Amino acid sequence: MVTQIIQIVLSPLIALAVAVLLLGLSRQIIARIHRRYGPPIYQPIIDIIRLMTQRGISHGALFELGVVFALAGSLVTVLFVPLGGTSAPPGAYPLAHGLLSPLSSSGGLLVVIYLMLFGPISIALGAGASANPNASIGVSRKMLLALAYELPFLLVILAVMSHYGTISLAEIVSRQQDTAWGVVSVPLAALAAFLILPAMVGIRPFDLVGAPQEIASGPLAEYGGRYLALLTVQQGVHLFVVIALFVDLFLGGGLNVITFLVKVLGVFVIAEMINAVLPRVRIENALKFCWTWPMGLAFLQMVVTVVSR
Amino acid sequence: MLPVAILVVAFASAALVYPAGKVHGRLRDSLAVLSTLLLVGLIGLGYGAWREVVYVPDFLGVQLVLRLNPLAWFFAITVAVVVSLSTIFSLSYVRHKESADFHYAATLAVEGAMLGIVLAGDLLTFFIFWELMSWSAYLLISCNRGRALDAGLKYIIMSLVGSCAMLIGLLAVYSSLHVLSIPLVAERMQTASPGFVLLVVLTFGLGFGIKSAMVPLHTWLPDAHSEAASPFSAVLSGVLIKMGIYGFVLLMYGLVGLRLLLGLGFGWLTFSHVLCWLGAITVVIPAFIAVLQTDAKRLLAWSSIGQIGYIILGIGFGTSLAFAGGVFHALNHALCKSLLFLAVGAVEHHTGGVRDLDRLGGLAKRMPVTFACALIAGLGLVGVPLTGGFMPKWLIYRTLIEEGSPFLAFAALLGTWGAILYVYKLLHNIFLGQLPEEHRAVPRAPASMCIPIAVLGLAILLFGVAPGIPLRAVQSIGEVFGLAQLKVTLWGLASDAGALNLLNICLAVAVAFAAVFLVMRLGAKGPRVSQEDSYAAGSAVPVGRYHYTVDFYNPLCRMISPYLKDRVDRFYSWLAARGGEIADLTRRMYTGYAGTYVFYIVSFAALLIFLQLVWRIW
Repeated sequence: MVTQIIQIVLSPLIALAVAVLLLGLSRQIIARIHRRYGPPIYQPIIDIIRLMTQRGISHGALFELGVVFALAGSLVTVLFVPLGGTSAPPGAYPLAHGLLSPLSSSGGLLVVIYLMLFGPISIALGAGASANPNASIGVSRKMLLALAYELPFLLVILAVMSHYGTISLAEIVSRQQDTAWGVVSVPLAALAAFLILPAMVGIRPFDLVGAPQEIASGPLAEYGGRYLALLTVQQGVHLFVVIALFVDLFLGGGLNVITFLVKVLGVFVIAEMINAVLPRVRIENALKFCWTWPMGLAFLQMVVTVVSR
Repeated sequence: MLPVAILVVAFASAALVYPAGKVHGRLRDSLAVLSTLLLVGLIGLGYGAWREVVYVPDFLGVQLVLRLNPLAWFFAITVAVVVSLSTIFSLSYVRHKESADFHYAATLAVEGAMLGIVLAGDLLTFFIFWELMSWSAYLLISCNRGRALDAGLKYIIMSLVGSCAMLIGLLAVYSSLHVLSIPLVAERMQTASPGFVLLVVLTFGLGFGIKSAMVPLHTWLPDAHSEAASPFSAVLSGVLIKMGIYGFVLLMYGLVGLRLLLGLGFGWLTFSHVLCWLGAITVVIPAFIAVLQTDAKRLLAWSSIGQIGYIILGIGFGTSLAFAGGVFHALNHALCKSLLFLAVGAVEHHTGGVRDLDRLGGLAKRMPVTFACALIAGLGLVGVPLTGGFMPKWLIYRTLIEEGSPFLAFAALLGTWGAILYVYKLLHNIFLGQLPEEHRAVPRAPASMCIPIAVLGLAILLFGVAPGIPLRAVQSIGEVFGLAQLKVTLWGLASDAGALNLLNICLAVAVAFAAVFLVMRLGAKGPRVSQEDSYAAGSAVPVGRYHYTVDFYNPLCRMISPYLKDRVDRFYSWLAARGGEIADLTRRMYTGYAGTYVFYIVSFAALLIFLQLVWRIW
């Protein structure tokens, strides 16, 4: 019980810390690729503190609750994603094996994909509480983009779940540690998942939901002050959750938290390189792209998995 | 005597409520509400009971029986609760309408008929109540005149086709098994030939498929649901189409039995397979057709078809997990969909009949209770954790994945993502964003509308956090049919592989929410400004006209709409038109001239003489 409480407190804290680090790192990486110096890596911390002290307007209870639910939902999702460690033999002390997956036995991957909805839906509702048409346009784009990447993503996780014959994420991780990583055993699904990764975390070329130059940051248009601070953190945590899920599904999780985070960092750096060089696409192109290559690859993987079973 | 008492109360109040309305409106209202609440109480008393009452000992050699068992109880309580809430909602919805007396009487008659269906202990009683339900629902659907008449006609014609098929099945059962009582039929069915079993399954299945609006038998539903009065749409979508589901459960698990059913078919093409794939199609295509709709009630109607697909998928797959998921989802859909129809009804009532999603907006502040509950119901349809929709959908997905049908699972998940799109479109276009000028003066909804909506909303949340309550009832149904037992706890499932504990999720969300909320309180507090005081990069946003609703999902709609034409509906219409032409040709025989008729008689006599001379038949 005590172990579980430690884990439950620890994993969101790790997620928060890594989220802020990733945000800072992202600006550095992009700046370096653009041959700029870029802001210091702790810039997001400064920004968040500054935003917390600024007085941002509010449009009412739904407007505020949307933000709170979004961040809370993302933090809860973290509890269901294994953050490294090997599954301890029954009776052994789990923390000694570095296992950090406090609730991943409850409901498995299906719960994770549903919990990942909390963030976008809450932000959409909060943004809808204002009367800003830009926010509505952004939300409409977000819904469509979500549909665009969810179809291949669902095929990907179904292929993985069918391959390992379980819906438990913890078991998928431990099976990979026993045999081969997901990249080797379900390579097409891994490739498909990597192709839709930018869309899932909302970076270029799929940053059309925020799109500051077109629709004034879309759903975030009305948010400022402490709300924007929390939403920035939410974006970081969401980024972390998606990449952590990728690492758990295809890169064998981690033997302990450190190796896990190193893998997360690796995937993140590659994703940021894509982010730094590509321009933004339109929503139609995003739909078309996600439903051709990633969808085709994931579908092929699923056929292969079903046939080879 | 409980089953008899229930039916007597239902039909007596249906008969009394009409004359009561002629005396005084209040008398009618209180009679209707009290009798529906009394029915909820009476059925509640029957929890866990097994009763059997012979109410007609000998009707042309058949014993007519009513019986109460966990299966009947589960559907009966759903019917009673939804109808009673819909009746309370009707109080202010139909008060000033001419047809109010008729509305209450017909609604109570539909309730009585539905209760009769689930309480029927033999197939003849079942069929009689089935017909009563079809016809009284027809009267209610076409009650609004105009387009509702066409919708009602479409409904009743399709229902009649289903009823005829069922009648053939009924006669086949009686002529070869010589019994109609459900347990006896089930017993003799086990030794019947496979061809006969298939005939029974297909004939009854056609009737149930039409009533539950399974693709490709769904075409009556979008018209009927959107044209009926909103409180009755809630009953239609919430429980009436579930009678088809009840029929399927009774047929597949009660009459034929799972063992026989899974082997039914030709080689790999089994009945269960076909039903599952029909379920999957029913999940996916209607969900995306719903995304294209601009009429709020039509959107909900298509969504109903999509959600029925999950139930069919669950009960068609035939494992105990999937069965539990399917039946649980029947309850969940009844709650969510009747809430959404009532919410749209409240909006429609207060905006003067507007249900066009392009003309509404920003009503959340005017109707906070309606919005909050519609949100809960919408999330319940999607199956978000902590709403009643999560557990059944989780059960269905999990079975499909673990039993090795990932393509069916993909269809099920795809439908869910369609549901996210249409649920958000519905909520956003009605309740969020800018309030159009014409709706500035919308009053708050009265208590008689808010209470049923709030009760349903709370029930969805309760079943989301403590799914054990309905799951135990579902499990006792499984027990009747001899399905394997699940390890149900109050908060979810306990099993070695893949437990689910929703209390954990609930607590985690609550703690995380509290923590984030506290952190937010630490930050500097800004002023609350009006909704219209918004940022538009330097230019002012015009107020009252810039609600982004028309073509909300334009890029997607352009992509998918060419593929989502309702070809089945067109085919049926074509069939109906051809039928009309044949009937028209027949009509031309009646020219009105006596000479023509004499000619018919003479030529018929000549034909008879000719036949007799040539073949000597007589």
